[in-house]
Amino acid sequence: MTPEQRARAEERLRNPAPGSRIEAAEKYGISLSLLIEQLRLTPAERARKIESASTVLEEVRGAARKRR
Amino acid sequence: MQFTRAVQALCDAEVEFVVIGGLSANLHGSARVTFDIDLCYSRGTSNLKRLAAALAPFHPRPQGFPAELPFVWDETTLRNTTVLTLQTDLGEIDLLAEVAGLGSWEDVKAGSILVGAFDRTFSILDLRSLIRAKRASGREKDLAALPELESLLEASEP
Repeated sequence: MTPEQRARAEERLRNPAPGSRIEAAEKYGISLSLLIEQLRLTPAERARKIESASTVLEEVRGAARKRR
Repeated sequence: MQFTRAVQALCDAEVEFVVIGGLSANLHGSARVTFDIDLCYSRGTSNLKRLAAALAPFHPRPQGFPAELPFVWDETTLRNTTVLTLQTDLGEIDLLAEVAGLGSWEDVKAGSILVGAFDRTFSILDLRSLIRAKRASGREKDLAALPELESLLEASEP
């Protein structure tokens, strides 16, 4: 994504057009500010983030299973 | 899930694959956390051998397969199945020979893009194909992912 494309995407997410899929997603409960944050990352940065989040949540799930 | 080791093992073994599930969504910008890696792979004989060899060090077994029963992991196993949910030392790896809404390996490959992550370059579904696959699967968790993915698509459209 070029800087111009990212700026356009951010603007659309910050100010969803009425009747747009983005507006519908926000009403559904999607955090658009979180998506803006995600789009500012490169795929490599997103990959590192998901691996880290997945590992932490798996540890939490594992701990919860042991307590049952 | 050790995504880095899984992707690197597959890339280093020159396996022809496309990442098709939640990890693909994450790399497009989805904030949803995924705990497995879903792959579509070429059914060519040499690729099946490479895929079997790449995952062998991580002791793959079908999820829920009785521990007391022997399981042979090789290219014949891969050839005889079209969907495999594997438990490995790296985490859960789902292997699909075809993808609902998209079709066979060739169709999936045609709907993919290259991405650089995990210190490798590999194929993931493009956003339109990912949305089509999620919609076609009809599973609740896939349908729940659609509003976010459609937002990302709409935001990135020219």
